Amino acid sequence: MEPPKIWREKRGKYLAMGVECSDCMIKQFPFTEKCSACGSENVKEYKLATTGKVLHFSTVTQTTDEMMGSTPYLIAIIELDDGIKVTGQIVDCNLNEAKEGMDVRMVFRVLARNGSEGLIRYGYKFAPI
Amino acid sequence: MNKVGIVSFGSYIPRYRIKIEEIAKVWDEDPIEIKAQSQINSKSVPGPDEDVATMAVESARNAISRWKGKEKDLGAIYVGSESHPYVVKPTATIVAAALDVEKSLTAADLEFACKAGTAGMQMCFGLVKSKMISLGLAIGADSSQGRPRDPLEYTVGAGSAAFLIGSENIIAELEGTYSVTTDMPDFWRREGAVYPSHGVRFTGQPAYFKHTIDSSKGLMEELGTKTSDYQHVIFHQPNAKFPQAVARMLGFSKEQVELGLICKQMGNAYSASSILGFANVLNHANPGDQILLTSYGSGAGSDSFSFTITEAIDNIRPYKYDTQYYLNQCEYIEYGKYVRFKGILR
Repeated sequence: MEPPKIWREKRGKYLAMGVECSDCMIKQFPFTEKCSACGSENVKEYKLATTGKVLHFSTVTQTTDEMMGSTPYLIAIIELDDGIKVTGQIVDCNLNEAKEGMDVRMVFRVLARNGSEGLIRYGYKFAPI
Repeated sequence: MNKVGIVSFGSYIPRYRIKIEEIAKVWDEDPIEIKAQSQINSKSVPGPDEDVATMAVESARNAISRWKGKEKDLGAIYVGSESHPYVVKPTATIVAAALDVEKSLTAADLEFACKAGTAGMQMCFGLVKSKMISLGLAIGADSSQGRPRDPLEYTVGAGSAAFLIGSENIIAELEGTYSVTTDMPDFWRREGAVYPSHGVRFTGQPAYFKHTIDSSKGLMEELGTKTSDYQHVIFHQPNAKFPQAVARMLGFSKEQVELGLICKQMGNAYSASSILGFANVLNHANPGDQILLTSYGSGAGSDSFSFTITEAIDNIRPYKYDTQYYLNQCEYIEYGKYVRFKGILR
């Protein structure tokens, strides 16, 4: 991933910062400069809830080169306590321990390392509570 | 003079542990003898997606979320470590962004072997006391390196401790700090080297013991305090024997050193070692308690601090994700998984 993209996505990945439309009050993630519901540009940053429940999960065994060292890993759709659904990795959890309905919280982890000399990308993942 | 002290604190220890027996099995060494020497039963191991930046952020978020102040007031962030993920590109800026406190602040990464965390604390105390900033964040974090089959492989762990330092709502008031610093060839890692080297027995008497004793005595002489004034005392923990021996040499009892001695379960987390012990003491200490903290960093130096716990500590306790929470969250792994997690298998 190129440095400008990592920099642009920083607030979304590090802080789980989404957006709230000041006209229709819809909350969305990731950040967008225009409300995808009403098209308004009158939007402001909104920080997602940091806890939620696992709705669905799956085990990833085949993925991109930079993530292959981490396989197999758990990926899940999480319904956060504010109702927003996000996708994220589940960590600190063995493959046979994951359950639908499991309570999780956001933690800060390495998302991917670009080899041994490239940039390290950081961001949120989820750990069981 | 205005008061200065710790206003909040946070800990982080990775979930994974490896037992001494598991490492000894690989090298056909006697775990009973190794455990007798170090008095360490297991050490913490970072997961494959953890490093000093992630651990520093987790401990700092714990310090902030248990506290009721405004993190936007942060004027300085210092991260002490000898295993920063980048040689060039600061960990402290990642922490600032992950706390959403960019950008009117100063920040830097520090290195002084195992005492870079307390060096950052001293810098924050100075900046707050001189009113250059109102709030500082000092972190000590390490994903410690130990060469396979080296005695260090059995004892070096990982973790992070973070301290918010300010002048309002102080939970542990600083009474004084004192340091000793000499040039000491006891432990080193050259540019580009993966593992540190050390002077084996030379790391003891002239290095760890001399600096820890001189610094602790120097502070107590300066403040006019005596060993019996302190309810708790915390030293750097390369193993569990050294801090207990140095406590005896200084005249402290086993009870005074016990609460801060957490390396038995998690090993030596280098820059986070003494200050994670200190964080564990802060989770349990009572208002009015006096605490002596002395770090040790090879190369070499010691920083000593004397604190008094205030009534305000009960405003930030209890807190779910305290040091004990992370000590209890543990999964033992085998050596094969350990070498994969540590990146030894490439």
